Amino acid sequence: MDKEKIKILILDDEPIVTKRLKPALEKKGYEVETFTQSSSALKRIQEERFDIVITDLKMEGLSGMEFLEKVKEKWPQTEVIVITGFATMETAKESFKKGVFDFLAKPFKLGEIIDIVAKAVDHLKGKEASK
Amino acid sequence: MVNLKHIFKKILGKGGTDEGRPFSYLFQVFQQILTLNNKILDKIAEANEKLGGEYVFDIRFIEQFVESISKDVQQLIFSMNEMVPGRYEGLFEAYKAIELDIQAIMAGQYIGAKTHVLHFDDVEKGDEDSIGPKNASLCLLKKELSLNIPEGFAITFYAYKDFLSQNGLEEKIHEIMNEWEKGRYSTKEASRMIQSEILSSPIPSNLKHSISDALAILRKKIGKHSLLAVRSSAWGEDSEHSFAGLYDSVVGVNDNGIYDAYKKVIASTFHSKVMEYRRQIGFKEDEILMAVGCEQLIEPEVSGIIYTLNPNEPSCENMIINSTWGLGGILVSGKTTGDMFFINRESREIVGLEIAWKEKKKVIKRDGSFEYVEVEDNRKEIPSLSKEQIKRLAKTAVTIERFFKKPQDIEFAIDKSGEIIILQSRPLKIREKIKTSQLDITHLDKRYQILIKNSGHTAQEGVGIGPVYICAGDHVLDDFPTGAIAVAKYASPRLARIVPRASGIITEIGSVAGHLATICREYGLPAVFNVKNAIEILEDQGQITLDATEKTVYKGKVKELFYYTLSQEPIEESYEYRLLRRILRKIEPLNLVDPNSPKFRPETCKTFHDITRFVHEKAVEAIIDLHYEGIDHSQSISARMKWDIPLDLVVIDIGGGLDEESLKVGVARPEDVLSIPMQGLMQGLRCPGAWDNDPMSVDVSSFMSSLTRTFSAEHADPKMVGQNLAVLSKHYVNLSLRLGYHFTMVDSYVSQNVIENYIYFRFFGGVTDLKRRSRRAKLISDILSFYDFRVETRGDLVVARLKRFGQEDTLRRLYLVGILIGFTRQLDVLMVSDEHVSQFAKKIIELMEGENGQREDKNFDS
Repeated sequence: MDKEKIKILILDDEPIVTKRLKPALEKKGYEVETFTQSSSALKRIQEERFDIVITDLKMEGLSGMEFLEKVKEKWPQTEVIVITGFATMETAKESFKKGVFDFLAKPFKLGEIIDIVAKAVDHLKGKEASK
Repeated sequence: MVNLKHIFKKILGKGGTDEGRPFSYLFQVFQQILTLNNKILDKIAEANEKLGGEYVFDIRFIEQFVESISKDVQQLIFSMNEMVPGRYEGLFEAYKAIELDIQAIMAGQYIGAKTHVLHFDDVEKGDEDSIGPKNASLCLLKKELSLNIPEGFAITFYAYKDFLSQNGLEEKIHEIMNEWEKGRYSTKEASRMIQSEILSSPIPSNLKHSISDALAILRKKIGKHSLLAVRSSAWGEDSEHSFAGLYDSVVGVNDNGIYDAYKKVIASTFHSKVMEYRRQIGFKEDEILMAVGCEQLIEPEVSGIIYTLNPNEPSCENMIINSTWGLGGILVSGKTTGDMFFINRESREIVGLEIAWKEKKKVIKRDGSFEYVEVEDNRKEIPSLSKEQIKRLAKTAVTIERFFKKPQDIEFAIDKSGEIIILQSRPLKIREKIKTSQLDITHLDKRYQILIKNSGHTAQEGVGIGPVYICAGDHVLDDFPTGAIAVAKYASPRLARIVPRASGIITEIGSVAGHLATICREYGLPAVFNVKNAIEILEDQGQITLDATEKTVYKGKVKELFYYTLSQEPIEESYEYRLLRRILRKIEPLNLVDPNSPKFRPETCKTFHDITRFVHEKAVEAIIDLHYEGIDHSQSISARMKWDIPLDLVVIDIGGGLDEESLKVGVARPEDVLSIPMQGLMQGLRCPGAWDNDPMSVDVSSFMSSLTRTFSAEHADPKMVGQNLAVLSKHYVNLSLRLGYHFTMVDSYVSQNVIENYIYFRFFGGVTDLKRRSRRAKLISDILSFYDFRVETRGDLVVARLKRFGQEDTLRRLYLVGILIGFTRQLDVLMVSDEHVSQFAKKIIELMEGENGQREDKNFDS
């Protein structure tokens, strides 16, 4: 799997979060699409497979938890990373059961999410190799 | 020596302690205050860290931060009230006022200075909230970079609001806007109605007075005859929104005309085009605010515009200067294209020029009207700028660009004496012009030599390019070249003064929550701390590129990174960043520095930090009161030190600071002291040599000078005079000393937890004349800054702060403070010349380094 082709979808209802993450991950050579509404992100997920999905938990409409379930249902191979406010960290830990790759409390450093994404990429490569 | 103890009658002050409340309970409350104090300062530092660009945070973080810090401050005030019930009720009022302001800021409302005018010379960072970003950034060029700008003053947003409300216009405007929103009025109709309401309303008399007073002060600087220019400076008129050119300016105004000009400019807030534009970008009604700048109108020989990077061909690395004779308006009007000079940004050589035929120039007549007159024959086809002027302009332009950290669009004038005067500077729109081919930042390691890779901690993100300048050894900070990258051992607060001129900072040691980091973030200066061996690696590298985001340093100039940064939307302009910045202005600054100042009162607390400082001081005072007024006789809380130095000291233990046995007998030996910070101080106090310079016999005039001094708050309390006290716990010390005629206070917390550690040091007073006292203040401040304290001096008052150093490093600095206390108590008597200052400084540093010297940059470059 070539790094250049890794595709990432980011869903967070706070535009500042997607605005920050997109250029930072693009700078690392990933292909990034961002959404601030879960409905449109869900639609996109139905159309196409993303290697990595980064989502917030607490959002209007469809919750992040439901969103990640849908993602995993449709694309079991996709790695999901949860980013969420400190207050909802406990809930986030629960999401491990649902096959989440890792989670991160907001506010976080860009370096931290970049590291987790890199680990997720390694994990994906590992899975690919063992096929 | 005269003992003031005998001079003052001992009067018992009214303590606020209730009878019957045991010491142990009050000590507990005091400990609570200390804990809250640390917690609050810590939260402030952490919030400030979020502005460095490394963090991703959203509005919920800001909401949580505000909520939690506000709760802590409230709790702090309650605890204070618990210690001394009812004594500082003003704190509740101060808290409420700050809290209201913060809520208003959160709701997107403006909170500026509540004053009608602000003189350009008094403008500080953050005042864009009062006078608009356009006014504010011009003023900063003078304040921070010492560039010439027109003399003038700003009429604030507050004045605008006052004008509207005194004339009952707020409701009227609101109604018209409502009807317009509903489509009942066209934009043109609404615009005309609002503008005519403004223009037909009188300027309220108090506002008129404020303006005429300001004008009188301005006239003293610029003389009677100069004409004035009245320019707009609206809220939000920054780089993000392009209101440029949409508002009115009135140029060529005399004193009588200024009032109508003011109304004309504020009426232009409601030009139909602006109303449409605001609706389009979703501006709220309470965000519509207009300040104006009233400035001296410069009558220029030459004027023009500089683009610090050619917006049409950014990759050519050229700047453009466009100039013509007379006033610059002619360039905009299209009556002449003016001369064009293309200058290489680096070498500052002229690489291209197009000299225009300049038939006419625009000049202003005495009555304020304009006229196009014919240019003298011999000047029509010669360049309007000399080579020397071009060089100077280019240098100035680069300095301004470095200061604002992005390419600029600068308006300038050159007056009859040849001085360059900057009229305006704003960010150049360049983002869209950069080709993607210039932005390839992959595999930079194959194209450039990497000197440092992923090392240290980012204090402020960004990319800086410039020559290395080592801030140690023989290099003094005064010689710091504009645009260089500072490389230093410690992230010392003394580096703060080079921040406006630097391209980047790299240090081997330092906290990203410290003072220097805060300053770097305030100025957006790329900075990385804790980079191993930075000095050794970078010493002879010349030009380097610092990518603070990646914590990486390249040899030479990495153009790709420069363009990449330009192509990105600047994160510090996003709403959340601006909001947090504005909120922190109500929380972070410390205005209450001098406890002897009449301003050291609850009512003058302007920020949460002020409240925290105030409560801390007063809580210590309350503990000392307890010692004197002790009502709880069942418990002994103090002991007298028995040691080998001439210092009579009573220590009060509030928990774990002293061996219990010593409390019972009322005498404590050094080994009985369990307080960690007190141990550090004691080592310094007992350092051999520190007390060697015997108290000098005071000459008669010095002594008279001491008697005529007014003793103020800190030592006015008779029970304090002559008594040296320390309040101790295991991790805390507060030491207040009166030695000779000097008053010293040390307050420190030291534990394994780095973020809790701090030293607060205060020193003032002395026997001799103010000059010698100031010399001594300078000595102390020089030494403390050298050892990384953040120092403020006012006359002979020195306040020094140090935060977040490890336990060892903090103790080492307490050791220094101990030495200083012993060594300097009589120094002002000796300090007859300025040379003495550096001699003594050397001596103290020898004492420091002789004991446990680790400092490498021993050259004392204060």
